[in-house]
Amino acid sequence: MSTKELTIGFVGNPNCGKTTLFNAYTGANLKVANWPGVTVEKKEGAMRLHDETYRLVDLPGTYSLTSYTMEETVTRQYILSDDVDVIVDVVDASALERNLYLTLQLMELGKPVVLALNMMDIVQERGMEIDFHRLPEMLGIPCVPVSARRRTGLEILIHTVAHHQDKALGEKIIHHHDPEESRHKDAEEHHKYYAMVYSDEIEDKIDEIGERLKEAYPDMENLRWHAIKILENDQEVKERHPLDLTDLLDQDYEKEIINQKFGFIEEVIGECVANRTRKAESTDRTDRLLTHPVLGLPVFLLIMGLVFFLTFTVGDWLKGYFEIALDWLTEAAVGGLTAVGAGEMLISLITNGIIAGVGGILTFLPNIFILFLALAFLEDSGYMARVAYVMDGIMGRIGLSGRAFLPMLLGFGCTVPAVMASRVLEDRRDRMKTILITPFMSCSARLPIYVMFSELFFGERAMIVAFSMYVLGLFMAILSAFVMKFLDRGRESDMLLIELPEYKTPNAHTIYVYVSEKVKDYLSKAGTTIFVASIVMWLVMNFGFHGYTSDMDQSFGAALGRVLVPVFAPIGLGYWQIVLALISGIAAKEVVVSSCSVLFGIGNVTTEAGMANLFGLLGSMGFGPLNACALMVFCLLYVPCMAAVATIRRETGSWRWTGAMAAFQLTVAWVTAFAVYQAGSWFL
Amino acid sequence: MKLYEGQKGSTLQVIHMELPVQTERRLEVLGMLEGTRITVVNRKKKGAMIIKIRGTRFAMGQSITECIEVKEV
Repeated sequence: MSTKELTIGFVGNPNCGKTTLFNAYTGANLKVANWPGVTVEKKEGAMRLHDETYRLVDLPGTYSLTSYTMEETVTRQYILSDDVDVIVDVVDASALERNLYLTLQLMELGKPVVLALNMMDIVQERGMEIDFHRLPEMLGIPCVPVSARRRTGLEILIHTVAHHQDKALGEKIIHHHDPEESRHKDAEEHHKYYAMVYSDEIEDKIDEIGERLKEAYPDMENLRWHAIKILENDQEVKERHPLDLTDLLDQDYEKEIINQKFGFIEEVIGECVANRTRKAESTDRTDRLLTHPVLGLPVFLLIMGLVFFLTFTVGDWLKGYFEIALDWLTEAAVGGLTAVGAGEMLISLITNGIIAGVGGILTFLPNIFILFLALAFLEDSGYMARVAYVMDGIMGRIGLSGRAFLPMLLGFGCTVPAVMASRVLEDRRDRMKTILITPFMSCSARLPIYVMFSELFFGERAMIVAFSMYVLGLFMAILSAFVMKFLDRGRESDMLLIELPEYKTPNAHTIYVYVSEKVKDYLSKAGTTIFVASIVMWLVMNFGFHGYTSDMDQSFGAALGRVLVPVFAPIGLGYWQIVLALISGIAAKEVVVSSCSVLFGIGNVTTEAGMANLFGLLGSMGFGPLNACALMVFCLLYVPCMAAVATIRRETGSWRWTGAMAAFQLTVAWVTAFAVYQAGSWFL
Repeated sequence: MKLYEGQKGSTLQVIHMELPVQTERRLEVLGMLEGTRITVVNRKKKGAMIIKIRGTRFAMGQSITECIEVKEV
């Protein structure tokens, strides 16, 4: 074995358990990055086995390696690059027939491929049997049975990879094809080295194109793959290696090549898989209810209701304990700092600035944790994809496919991944539309705002008020999409096509990795963005034109806020403190809450005492329940946080578009808050 | 007949697809080729369907199911 670190690329269809397998090796210690220039996510981790280090790269799930989508192109280019030493093709062994198509494409790339047959536990449960002697014989690559969920076969897979790393081409493949079948001069040779041998007509073309490529590009490696891609009319390969082949290519052979690959797959399945007709009864039974033509939608709404109920009630109960801890910390800090003789300014910065800001946000961790836990459950169980089907009819009415609903649903968690998830939509206009309405789906960072203000002003009905914010956001999203549909009448929208995976019991480890990633994000945001925002807020509030001041009315912040008060007065938010909190909220939405702590000089606004204190202060300013409502509405709808705006800029590739969107959101927020406030004042 | 006319639970054979090339390729890559047998697992009134292709379920919108010519087997 070489001493060089081996890089293993994990490739596979969506829903094949690739991420579970990857996590089984690397745990939660991942480096998530984007490829330079494009927002296609790759995850990286490392593992050690027998004193060797392996670098593992998890690539986006894909059904094929065409150049139709950016994701597939990027995946393909990365696999072809020198960076990857061995490809591990993860397949769902219980759905081998569909998974093998990608396998055949990967094998043609010419790099060492190891087939990992995942989900062997399900294969056994269903009484299916796979012939592990014949399968590698027919494919010419090593095939290793694994179960990521049960953690079996993991070490063997890495051993196989290590021993297979130098193998560029398969050993002799045992086909048992009838040589009479083919009149091709190299038929014998082809069958020795390639698992996938096409019809004579196509093999002839591959040979001819290969020869021409060799003439034009003498250094080209893997002529066969390039030739096949040119036959498939692959735009990316054709652009990179232009060649005049008008005399050879009378038609597009892609369809024929796909057909022949599946012909071979059927042969492989026929020989290597026994008892495959056993059905996954349980999934069908569950689907009878969950994707019922009439009941599907109410069931979905019920599930979402439950998710929010848990987020608010259980989350709030746990939050109580966090608050007690925070109070204790504040007191300890004041005590400690006074004891060491720290100045008034430093104590104020640490307690009123940092602890109030960052600590206040940390107390919401239970709510965030439960929300993401619920989302992880929905995703890992296989239900999420069904939502696309259930919502397809409604989404069709607003001019989007059911698939566009998935980014919107993820938007309840965080706008950033939700905007990135809009990539599943192929049509650019549909993607733009989805990106435009996704920020209206109330993200978890807005949750602290609702929790605080609704509990402050609405007591027992707090949960209803908070929940109505989610409904309002959804309503605004649908309304915006409807208007846009009206604007571009007659245009065909994206077509719904999505795999519905088998239902499974969510995997504890997968959920742990998912949730801990989100919690880590939240904590690091508290430690960075919110930390800085709290300090800046404290500075702006405690310094004025005459230097340090303990009277906030004299501060820079007050001056800035007062300039904008006239704009916010008609919507019931004409208080410089609130205006300033809203501006700071662009850094991150939670900052609205932490800023309130700093602005109103309350150590911890979310405790009972802090709340009563804030309630009194706001009340004395004339800020009542109606103003709170307008504030929540405005927070729901106005410009998303900086991170989200940056993501939108990256995904849309246009500053103009991003700017227009921000203006649109500000307008919508202002108009809606205006309507709520004015209508409310009329009736009350 | 067109796919969207297919009854729940019926097995059908694909005869022809009249879709934008990209969508058609996408379906083919999933194993839905001319001649492939598919099963209708579930359907909505308007024509959105859950189809089983080679053992895997896929949800398809009406805009796809109305463009696929099938025959009963």
